[in-house]
Amino acid sequence: MKSISLRSLAVLAAMASLTLAWPAMAHHSFAMFDFSKTMTVKGTVKEFRWTNPHVALLVEFAPQPGAPPEVWSMELTSPGNLTRSGWSRHSFKPADRIELEFNPLRDGKHGGAFEKATFLDTGQVITSNLRAAEKPGLQ
Amino acid sequence: MGRGEGTKRRGGYRGITGPAVISVMLCLAALPQSANAGTVINPPPQAEDWSALAKLPDWSGVWTPNITDQDRRIETDPMPWNKAAAAQIAKLEAAEQAGDPKGLFVNCLPEGMPSWMLITHNAMEFLFTPGRVTILGESDGNRLRRIYTDGRAHPADPDPTFHGHSIGHWEKDTLVVDTVGILPEAYIAVSEAVGLPNGGDLHVIERIHLDKPDMLRDDLEVIAPHRLTRPWKTSRFLFRQRARKYDIVEGVCLQGNYSEATDASGNAVFVPVPQTEGGNTLPPTTESDKPR
Repeated sequence: MKSISLRSLAVLAAMASLTLAWPAMAHHSFAMFDFSKTMTVKGTVKEFRWTNPHVALLVEFAPQPGAPPEVWSMELTSPGNLTRSGWSRHSFKPADRIELEFNPLRDGKHGGAFEKATFLDTGQVITSNLRAAEKPGLQ
Repeated sequence: MGRGEGTKRRGGYRGITGPAVISVMLCLAALPQSANAGTVINPPPQAEDWSALAKLPDWSGVWTPNITDQDRRIETDPMPWNKAAAAQIAKLEAAEQAGDPKGLFVNCLPEGMPSWMLITHNAMEFLFTPGRVTILGESDGNRLRRIYTDGRAHPADPDPTFHGHSIGHWEKDTLVVDTVGILPEAYIAVSEAVGLPNGGDLHVIERIHLDKPDMLRDDLEVIAPHRLTRPWKTSRFLFRQRARKYDIVEGVCLQGNYSEATDASGNAVFVPVPQTEGGNTLPPTTESDKPR
């Protein structure tokens, strides 16, 4: 019983640390991204999360030539807004090879604001600019 | 229930059986509520109520905000913050400019009134039904305003809510909306990073009308005695979209805190994703999350 209790405590402690480390936060400003800085990398899509309020694209790439690959998380606007820009939940799939342009987080953590992606196998370019769609009767 | 149970022998209902009492109760329940003194009902709309809707201006379609104009009005229509509020706003602006924004809505609670109207980046739609205009939004799951146009007054002591209690009336083609009963915690937001809780006694008056055939204009007057030195007037604009890809979609703000996974039993489940304190998603490798 003792070992089970300890294990339970350990699980609870782990859950508590997760809660502290991953607070329930989402709907945010974009001021934490450094829009004066654009990083361009070639990488592979790991995951595409089609969720509110910010869609996330996880991409694996080597930050410097020869460096071990890292996974970074790119943030975008909402699924509704992206749908209107021609996106869908199938716009990216795991293993897609892309050239990615993004504005990194100012604090150096592995996240950024998505700017543009070019599919290396097809040359297709995909962008997101909410302010480019400010007129009525859009198709 | 046994025979005779429910018969009130000491109170004057002697001889009335339980089933009979139930029958009477059922009959009372079936009577219109108006038969009960003091109960105000929403009467069933008549054909003329529905046909009257056709005489209202056409606000159909999906409406997308002019975000560039929202941004511009931060400079052109600044809020008249009182001294105490201005000091707090200055700190929030400094934090935002330093790239360390204090997100007002990272907890995914609704933007509420008047912030939804002021800073949303998402679409909304307007539904007309007899006695009511309903505004439905997108992205945070609970963007919904009920504006009663049936002539009712505000409750004397409304329960405070994020969007408040709204009553409206039509002046020609303009919907005039009066909103009170807003939670003191609801923000008066300049942006998603700058704004303050309204502090109570908030009153919002809006005049919503078509500025152009496909442009809706919301002229707002925000009266916030605990935050602003005078009533603040500003306007917001929305563009009409009719292409079906603009249809409003479900949006649950908290969903972004999770990713889809499969548990040990094969169930589709949500699992938390790592985020920064500011609400940014991070890759699921804790070691690489550390600042370099």
